[in-house]
Amino acid sequence: MTIRDRTAGEALDAFDAEGTYANSRASSGRRNASFPRAALAARVAKFPTSVVDGGAGVASWTRAIPSSRARIALVFLCVVVAGRLASQPGRSAASDEFFEQKIRPLLVTHCLECHGSNAAKRQANLRLDSRAGWSRGGDSGPAIVPGEPQRSLLIAAVRHADSAPRMPPTGKLTAAQIADLETWIQGGASDPRSTPAEDSGGGSPMARGPLTIAEGRAFWSFRPLADPPVPPVKNGQWPRGAIDRFLLARMEAAGVAPAPDADPRTLLRRAAFDLTGLPPEPALLEQFLADPSPTALAAAIDRLLESPRYGERWGRHWLDVARYADTSGNASDYPVPQARRYRDWVIRAVQNDVPYDEFLRRQIAGDLLPAASPEERQENLIATGYLAIAKRFGGSRDGEHHLTIEDAIDNLGKAVLGATVSCARCHDHKFDPFTMRDYYAWYGIFASTRFPFPGAEADKKQADFIPLLSAEQIERLMGPHRARLATLDSEIKQREAAEAEAKKLPDGPDKNTAIAAATAALADARKRRSAAANEAPVIDDAYAVAEGKPANTRLHLRGDPKRLGDEVPRRFLEVLGGQTLPPDSAGSGRRELAQWLVDPANPLPARVFVNRVWQHHFGRGIVATPNDFGVRGQPPTHPELLDHLATAFIRDGWSLKALHRRILLSRAWQLASQFAPSAEMQANAVKDPNNTLGWRFERRRLDAESIRDTLLWVAGDLDESPPGDHPFPPRHTWGWTQHNPFVAAYETNRRSVYLMQSRLKRHPYLALFDGPDPSSSTGARAPSTTPLQALFALNDPLAHQSAGKVAARAIAAGEDEAARIDAACRSVWSRPATLEERAECAAFLAAYRQQLSSADDRQAWSALARALLASNEFIYVD
Amino acid sequence: MTTNRCGNQGGMADGFTRRAAIRSLAAGSLLFPGMLARLLANDSGDPLAPKAPHHRPRATRVVFMNMSGGVSHVDSFDYKPRLFADHNKSYQVPARMLEAFALNNRSTEKFFKRPQWDFKQRGQSGLWISELFPRIAEHADELCVLNSLRNDHADHFQATLGIHTGSVTFARPSIGSWISYGLGTENRNLPSFMVLAPATPYAGGQVWAADFLPGCHQGTAVAPGAEPIANIRRRQPAARLQELELGLAQSLNRRHLSQRGPDPQLAARIQSLETAFGMQMAAPEAFDLTQETAATYRQYGLQPGSAKGFAWQCLMARRLLERGVRFIELIDTGASNNWDAHGDMATHGPLARNVDQPVAALLDDLKARGLWDDTLVVWTTEFGRTPFNTAKDARGREHHAEAFSSWLAGGGVKGGFRYGETDEYGCAVVDNEVHVHDFHATILHLMGLDHERLTYRHAGRDFRLTDVAGRVIEEVLA
Repeated sequence: MTIRDRTAGEALDAFDAEGTYANSRASSGRRNASFPRAALAARVAKFPTSVVDGGAGVASWTRAIPSSRARIALVFLCVVVAGRLASQPGRSAASDEFFEQKIRPLLVTHCLECHGSNAAKRQANLRLDSRAGWSRGGDSGPAIVPGEPQRSLLIAAVRHADSAPRMPPTGKLTAAQIADLETWIQGGASDPRSTPAEDSGGGSPMARGPLTIAEGRAFWSFRPLADPPVPPVKNGQWPRGAIDRFLLARMEAAGVAPAPDADPRTLLRRAAFDLTGLPPEPALLEQFLADPSPTALAAAIDRLLESPRYGERWGRHWLDVARYADTSGNASDYPVPQARRYRDWVIRAVQNDVPYDEFLRRQIAGDLLPAASPEERQENLIATGYLAIAKRFGGSRDGEHHLTIEDAIDNLGKAVLGATVSCARCHDHKFDPFTMRDYYAWYGIFASTRFPFPGAEADKKQADFIPLLSAEQIERLMGPHRARLATLDSEIKQREAAEAEAKKLPDGPDKNTAIAAATAALADARKRRSAAANEAPVIDDAYAVAEGKPANTRLHLRGDPKRLGDEVPRRFLEVLGGQTLPPDSAGSGRRELAQWLVDPANPLPARVFVNRVWQHHFGRGIVATPNDFGVRGQPPTHPELLDHLATAFIRDGWSLKALHRRILLSRAWQLASQFAPSAEMQANAVKDPNNTLGWRFERRRLDAESIRDTLLWVAGDLDESPPGDHPFPPRHTWGWTQHNPFVAAYETNRRSVYLMQSRLKRHPYLALFDGPDPSSSTGARAPSTTPLQALFALNDPLAHQSAGKVAARAIAAGEDEAARIDAACRSVWSRPATLEERAECAAFLAAYRQQLSSADDRQAWSALARALLASNEFIYVD
Repeated sequence: MTTNRCGNQGGMADGFTRRAAIRSLAAGSLLFPGMLARLLANDSGDPLAPKAPHHRPRATRVVFMNMSGGVSHVDSFDYKPRLFADHNKSYQVPARMLEAFALNNRSTEKFFKRPQWDFKQRGQSGLWISELFPRIAEHADELCVLNSLRNDHADHFQATLGIHTGSVTFARPSIGSWISYGLGTENRNLPSFMVLAPATPYAGGQVWAADFLPGCHQGTAVAPGAEPIANIRRRQPAARLQELELGLAQSLNRRHLSQRGPDPQLAARIQSLETAFGMQMAAPEAFDLTQETAATYRQYGLQPGSAKGFAWQCLMARRLLERGVRFIELIDTGASNNWDAHGDMATHGPLARNVDQPVAALLDDLKARGLWDDTLVVWTTEFGRTPFNTAKDARGREHHAEAFSSWLAGGGVKGGFRYGETDEYGCAVVDNEVHVHDFHATILHLMGLDHERLTYRHAGRDFRLTDVAGRVIEEVLA
């Protein structure tokens, strides 16, 4: 695709044939205003001369547009649009603007439902959604005669003249609206709309419309996986394997040379943070440094992959994509204590290297898969938590379930296919080959699925969670509870009877005493009954889905569930094969969906997944937009390498751990991040300043979890015992409303992946350090550097506590000050201090002691430790 | 008004020189000066650096006052004589307006309810404003009242999201985040977008979230109290000690950087530590009201020493505006005990008293201090309230997103001006509708931003505050 096409698409984004727009609440799709197209036209009109002479006007106008590529493209676009306008006599930017401001909204609101693209609803064969439509006219002839409102049938109709049908049938337009129509026609009826396609969602008016299915199948990301030959390289000494050859071939072509290898200590720290999110254990580090054999790194990587910290680290990467949260996200943000079972399942599955295709299959249809044991069955049920954690909306049970389904489709598309399928909810996708029918084919599958209900303002009780116990086990727990309640119930009955008896006694003091005693006893029994009811045994259950009532769904016109169109059979995306359910299918279609997704003929899951893994190891994906492999995403920098990795990944049985080894043992991953000021490196920096060719390792900041986990780890405070439930309030007390939503942050010394994450109010620490968005899929985190983060380093209690512990350990290292300084540096940086640093730290301690009023030397050492923890070396990985 | 007003503030010049020193120090030690210049030029180190607007701005700062719960338009800024006259008259409600009513309360026959407060014409302009806001009413000639706002949802949560983000369903960046992203900030010793709220609003932190915009544009929520900004208080017993500590850290950091060649992210982190150090002085100074005079306290109606009520919020807003904070949001209450007067409209009384005098004082104060012309004051709410109710003589009103009122004042808007028209009862907009997207487009326009050009690429498309709609209401521009 050319630059020009792409940018034209950008400028005209979110614009369709009828000028409707995809409002998230489609029932309000009633109006619009200035559309990008009109604005664009207006801007072009303002700068005609500069477009022609390429002078200063364009430069000043495009200053706000960041990349020079886009600037060039915009100049292009100006020429194109100006050319187009010029080619149509009678059209001017001003009249286009009038059309966009006044006429298009009016037509959309009052006319196009019956005179638009929907053939089934069309009246009188008249279309008002394009110039061709009204000039050809309907059963009564042309609707508009440009320049002559009095001769235009449309005006007669809206004026309710006797000579024409009275339009719109629902009520007369206002005088101002009629006047607008007349002004428009008088001025020549300028209409920038070209003929839209005859389809359900309205086509695209753009020269560069969405990819057709055939074009889509030829687009790079939808093409079948290739196993490209490993390219030849000039420097045959350098590569260790295929990855290196793919990268080096490109570097050589660009005249860029790889940086030197990283030193072993840097390398192991990098590997430990990459794989476990924590620094290397000192013993592992020493062992590695002492082992000169070529297999030392492979052995260390195996140790790291076996560590339970690995599953926590890499499970979190998937939880980012799956927008995991511990609350529902509805208006009162009900907590979902069971959600963490899914979180823990992900961590276990990653730790155990469950093949990725199986990993996906279980999350989408675990409840429908055969299981070898009750335990496996339980695990498979929990896995469908992936679907269950879709965001909830509103304040009642069913009110806005269509949005929850949209969220599920959105996430599945992005997470597994790198595809923004959910864009096709209100209209066909504007760029990628997904139609509304594709969207509603999936929608039917999820509408046939029963989602658990986490509770909401109007209905506070959980429902439709999936029990993890057998009926027998449940009975064993519930039986005694029911018996206990039954006993209390019968006691209440007796006491009620006793009270009634007492009331029948003859009047007198005895009667009063008896009634008082009986009433008190009854009240007591009732109190015990309600207390006992609150002590109902908790039946282990899962936030998981089940089969619902299988049915196809009908199109939601413009995404509005109240406006239904044709029924759409449940099937797979057409561009990826369009497989349909077998005729005898009696289920929701989830099992088939899972199978279609991971079918080896579908190239996307492997491409998308290996790209995510690459991104976490190198800091940037081969495709820089990990959740969007579509037309609007970034194309791969190394398409052959991407396919090489994807085919190898499938050949390795979809094993993530094998993929880690493949990548980490490449020479490319082991390069230094810093580069000596050699002429060669300087030339690299000029030729490829953004390091897209991978000639050096990309230095990066630790993510939110790693910073906090490491602060706990250096202090020796990290709690690595198995995680339990979050301390949510007991369920019978739940009464959250939108006026009083659930909000909490629970303290813990566990790893950050186990922090309770609510959707309504993000965890403040995670938000501060660019943590994941628990409401939508986070494909890549964008690290920011802010003073508020720096304040955390300076003043947060966690930073101070950790520093205190580091200081205490340094002091315990011996009497020698140099040894103590060394110990502190080893804790924080995984390396001893240099001579220069040692001297500097010693000077600092002396100066600090001089300023201190107290004789407590620990304060000086704590200050030293805080400075080390505030250092860039602590929070950046080389 | 120049773009950089913070250079004059006490205590901040120091921060700037320190930063400048770091910059030159870094430049001196770096290996490839040409490359460094490129790296620094592309802003990658400082997403909050002031940015040029799209066109000449009419205002450079915003105070966005958000009345939580839904203020009744027909009892405040939208005068409907017929509603007084036709009290208890039967009214057939269009079905779409019933969504705000409980399911068991959806009969289409409703009864008009007369406003509880009398209206008067005010000032030279003769704007009609009720007795609910007598002090704000004294400023009628400075207000640009919008009577035709429309939101997309009649539930608090969604409507509150809508008035802040333009979306009533999905989490999107707040208007304050968009403006911070579009313009950066003038004072790096304070956040660019601050929210002063005594309680959690509907939709919680989503109200000030940056969502997909870079995290530094997220609103910093300040609750009245000892530590308005997290970790702003130094824990070391003396500033000199902290300076020593920071000195060591920065020395280590500079050596670390010099060994690694040019890296804007490392340089930015060094800079952020310096800025944080400065913030520790600047923020407590900003929040320290002891410098204010007794007259000021009286003007705002604030008890000395108190951090309670809208008076504290308004006075703080003025201090933060003076210090170059770009966007300040004041939320008067939270998700409960607010304007949501289902039971009895009389509850509007004390809520109005909480804001009336402080808002009037802020308007006066901005004028007195020369801040009026480049500060945009926005007063809004998530929706209005129904002019009718199910029972005759009902005491309360229900949610009404179909039509409500807000006002703008200050930089770039017409004073004593009214825009938009509802029908004779205030049920629906009949002329010059101002949808929330239009409202946002107008605010951005006043700040020098074109709502169609203020975009951010996320998930494959360019997002805007105004989605794919929005119209600048040219008629209200001065």
